[in-house]
Amino acid sequence: MINFKLNGKEVQGEEGQYILEVAKKYGVEIPTLCNHSSLEPAGMCRLCTVELFDGRKTRFVTACNYPVWEGMEVNTDTEAVHQGRKLIVELLLARCPDAPVIKELAQKYGIETPRFKSGDSDCILCGLCVRMCEERMGVSAISLAGRGVDMRVETPFRIKTDACQVCGACESVCPAGCIDILEIAKYEPRPILSEWDEGLQERKPVYIPFPQAVPLAAVIDSEACVHVNTGNCGICRDVCEAGAIDFGQEEEIIEVKVGSIILATGYDLMDPTPMKQFGYGEYPNVFTSLEFERLSNATGPTGGRILVRDREGSFTRTPKSVAILHCIGSRDVNYHEYCSRVCCMYALKYSHLIKEKCGHDTAVYDFYIDQRCYGKGYEEFYKRCQEEGTTFIRGKVAEITDQAIKPEETGKLIAVAEDTLLGSTLRVPVDMVILCSAIEARKDAVDVGRIFGVNLGADGFFLEEHPKLGPLNTATDGVFLAGTCQSPKDIPDTVAQASGAAAKALSLATRGIVEVPSTISYIDPDICTGCQVCIGLCPYSAIEFDERRWVSVINEAVCKGCGSCSGFCPSGAAQVRHFNKKQLFAELEGVIDAIHWVSM
Amino acid sequence: MEIRSEKDLEKISSEYRNKIYYPDAVKINIGMASCGIAAGARLSYEKAKNEFSDSKEALICQTGCLGFCEEEPLVEVVGQGRPRVIFRHIKEDKIIDAVTGYIKGDLNKKWVLGQMRDPRCLLEDSIENPAAEVEPFEGIPFLEDMPFYKNQTKIALRNCGYIDPDSIEEYIARTGYLAFVKALSNGNSSDIINIIKESGLRGRGGGGFPTGVKWATCAGHKGDRYIICNADEGDPGAYMDRSILEGDPHSVIEGMLIAAFAIGSGHGFIYVRNEYPLAVRRLNTAIGQAESCGLLGDNIAGTDFSFHIKISTGAGAFVCGESTALMASLEGNIGRPRAKYVHTVEKGFRQSPSNLNNVETYANVPAIMLKGPEWYAAMGTDHSKGTKVFSLVGKIENTGLVEVPMGISLNDIVFKIGGGVPKNKKFKAVQTGGPSGGCIPEKFMDLSVDYQKLAEVGSIMGSGGMIVMDQDTCMVDVARYFMDFLKEESCGQCSPCREGIKQVLDILTGICEGNGKEGDIELLEELGNMIRKFSLCGLGTSAPNPVLTTILYFRDEYEAHIRDKKCPAGVCKNLFHYEIDEETCTGCTLCAKQCPKEAITGEKKKPHKLDQERCIKCGICYENCRFNAIVIK
Repeated sequence: MINFKLNGKEVQGEEGQYILEVAKKYGVEIPTLCNHSSLEPAGMCRLCTVELFDGRKTRFVTACNYPVWEGMEVNTDTEAVHQGRKLIVELLLARCPDAPVIKELAQKYGIETPRFKSGDSDCILCGLCVRMCEERMGVSAISLAGRGVDMRVETPFRIKTDACQVCGACESVCPAGCIDILEIAKYEPRPILSEWDEGLQERKPVYIPFPQAVPLAAVIDSEACVHVNTGNCGICRDVCEAGAIDFGQEEEIIEVKVGSIILATGYDLMDPTPMKQFGYGEYPNVFTSLEFERLSNATGPTGGRILVRDREGSFTRTPKSVAILHCIGSRDVNYHEYCSRVCCMYALKYSHLIKEKCGHDTAVYDFYIDQRCYGKGYEEFYKRCQEEGTTFIRGKVAEITDQAIKPEETGKLIAVAEDTLLGSTLRVPVDMVILCSAIEARKDAVDVGRIFGVNLGADGFFLEEHPKLGPLNTATDGVFLAGTCQSPKDIPDTVAQASGAAAKALSLATRGIVEVPSTISYIDPDICTGCQVCIGLCPYSAIEFDERRWVSVINEAVCKGCGSCSGFCPSGAAQVRHFNKKQLFAELEGVIDAIHWVSM
Repeated sequence: MEIRSEKDLEKISSEYRNKIYYPDAVKINIGMASCGIAAGARLSYEKAKNEFSDSKEALICQTGCLGFCEEEPLVEVVGQGRPRVIFRHIKEDKIIDAVTGYIKGDLNKKWVLGQMRDPRCLLEDSIENPAAEVEPFEGIPFLEDMPFYKNQTKIALRNCGYIDPDSIEEYIARTGYLAFVKALSNGNSSDIINIIKESGLRGRGGGGFPTGVKWATCAGHKGDRYIICNADEGDPGAYMDRSILEGDPHSVIEGMLIAAFAIGSGHGFIYVRNEYPLAVRRLNTAIGQAESCGLLGDNIAGTDFSFHIKISTGAGAFVCGESTALMASLEGNIGRPRAKYVHTVEKGFRQSPSNLNNVETYANVPAIMLKGPEWYAAMGTDHSKGTKVFSLVGKIENTGLVEVPMGISLNDIVFKIGGGVPKNKKFKAVQTGGPSGGCIPEKFMDLSVDYQKLAEVGSIMGSGGMIVMDQDTCMVDVARYFMDFLKEESCGQCSPCREGIKQVLDILTGICEGNGKEGDIELLEELGNMIRKFSLCGLGTSAPNPVLTTILYFRDEYEAHIRDKKCPAGVCKNLFHYEIDEETCTGCTLCAKQCPKEAITGEKKKPHKLDQERCIKCGICYENCRFNAIVIK
């Protein structure tokens, strides 16, 4: 602990700390331009200069890199210090008359126009970008080149450099906002798109997955993290006051023993890109339903304002007209024949939201095949939307195009469709198109099904044991289904099914025992040769292999006694109880004897 | 030729002493430092070499700089029982005649600078004066009596101009490496540090930090210690270090060896400007010789002490003369200073304890070791001991390199040694310490030169540049010149220095061009004081000195520029014009003949007239008028 005087007050600092750090701790403000908590102090801007009395004489030192020592006296805001800082700010203002950070400082010091000849530079030469690139990123793609007044931030040989790893640290640290990575990097920067926001905005390599994530904790994208890939940076670890950053963490596999399993793996939204006629991916203002959900969400990229992209690709304009297209990929023989069930209702919700948020004069066109508003309160909501002025058009949109043929169509997207009720073709110009894409089974449903012994239906969703009698069960006992992994359904249906599945699981757990049917397979370990053919054959994954004894073993809780194993077992070790060879032959013998008896 | 003891040195020394002082043939030493070569010494050397290559009576040798730059090329001839004679201005057309004249005993007195009574260096008290018996030439002045040499005491420059810099034997013959070998055999490093401390030697690079204290602090820190020699001499008009490196490289190597042994270091670097190719070449030769003699390398003279020296050449940045910038450059980084809150003796080159001294400091060390600290401390003032080398340039009669005891007055240097201002012009000021120094006016000419006194009048000792200015020097223009230099040479890192100097230069340029306005002087002072206090390194903190001292002592000149729009010295072209004083003009027509624009007209023996429309203010008429009839208005 080091004791010294700061502006006349006794303060304590740690060995090796700089004046600036201690001053910060005691709430004494010292202006700086070139200091950054993640970088070594450089003392370049000199704004943090303070007066130091060392017992003999007064000196001027920079607070950012002057280490504290016992008994020194520091004054951070004397007249001389103030005047000097003011003059430095004035000089910097003359250099960069338009830099906001300098203008702000100048205002603080009461400088209106500098007394010096003005320059036109944007860069305040604080060196943060250069030090960040060198010290933390270990790259040095840029450096302070030139001497004296010619000094500037520069890449080697003033050409775009492949030394740049396009991390963007320089851009993010620049207080003047004058670094453009496109002028530095040889390669185009690839933004990391937020998965949660459906790629509508960027995210950082360290991020909190979504606003109400459980646990609400940051994660590091190891593919994009500079530290994970090169060993440099690590700034997050330095700034995390809780010390929670652990780069050593890796994915781990946890084994949990459970009595029953509920599969609730959800669905994927069909990617409408292959349906070229709808222009998704080609026109920036064609959105999927989930993208629209993010746009409309208060935590989304636009803060809940429904906006469309301008020419630069930023969300700035409020749409004046919107087309909502039902049944994109569902009820379509080319893609999915089933109905996705939820689209009609959320499309109605969208039209309601658009009217509410973008103004009731916003034209909403709802292109449907059939409005399926079954269920409690749904039909009423449809009525309400009709009354709100949404235009419902029965007919599927044939094409979305930007080829205007009428003056009112210029700069808009045109939905070309047939109104099947009127029997006429339509061209509807709109600012925004929302595609109600099909709900489809998860891409990894096949693998998941294999793991849990659950079959898949023709539509790709998990197959229940019986559509009417066993809608929650699967072919494997103790494995239940809930939600859209089984079929498209809305939230009330999902909640209902999930509650049922939970009750099923609970009823097993409360009993604590499982009743096993008597006619199940048994493998005689004395006979089994360990060929493992039965394991591949068992449709319920009920046979495991005992490596130690080199025999196959039946899991009696799972076996259904179908007999596939016993029918094929080459050595005859697998038998179904009560239907083993001996019993069958005895039965046959009895029957044959009876025939004899009858015939005689 | 392995050197392991004082005996080995003595053997070489006794043999080569004869060759230096009593050569069998006539020995012709041609001053072949950069200054001599620039004046034509190489041509003279080639000519003499061709002429006397077969002759047994003449031996052509090269030597370093004798310091009298005004008189270059200097040629020293000795032999055949005659005294040493120094010839001046000996270009190739005169060399043969000068030498044959000497051989014949018939000297052309116009060509002779002087003869030398005692050729020994001041470390050679132990041997008898080899020239004592020699009959001097009649009517030839003695070098020792000439004002230029009389007032000098040569310690750092003791061998420059007397030995062949490419010959280690000649260096040894003049007690070279004796101090080191003695120190090595004594084996006590703290004794050495104490001697240097007691001698009061201070860093000759400009800062003036006590050398002994620096060595002791460096020795007190653990790690791989480095010995670095700063030979990045960048001040305009200063060339002390170059002359020492070119004339006596071994003295620097010996100084570094002693420092290395005292501090406990195994590696040394000499950071020298690449613009000094001859110095680099001679240093390389000297290092090679020292290595082959076993004075550099592993296990020197059979002891545990090992020391290696590498030469690193700088790329021409003035700021690399600053210690931390120099070390950054040595590491291969951009040469930029850092804050010295942690000193380089603790964490310097490669984050290790590093002792950095200037060329001149190292060159002083062997002499102090041999003659003792008391001898050295007896010279100089209370706080500044010993001697200091100055390069005396500018408007001065005897341009040259002079080594004087500390405490000598500026008057003595400028007028006694330097011979005053030429052409009967009026002395105005002397600028010391290079671009970061200040201008000292006439009223302080009695000032005794030492670190404190120079600082008191707002200047610095610096590395020893001394630029003399006469009445024709505009002080605003001088300040502008140095600011222009520093604008390019500031490293650019810290905003006060980079932006401040730029604006100071802008204001000064405005004043020189006649656009100065009221308040400019105060603004310059405000900027100067801030730059001085707020800058990062020594370059920045001393950069405003030329401006602040010229304002302090020559404020009237600034005011004349701003208020009257006049440049009294006639330098700032927008602010003056020439006129011909009709009363003084004799009508000699010299000016009219030389005017490149034919702006001067007039009949013979009648006052001439100057056409202001045509005059381009080149100053040729002003310089050439013998009657001072051209006046600045």
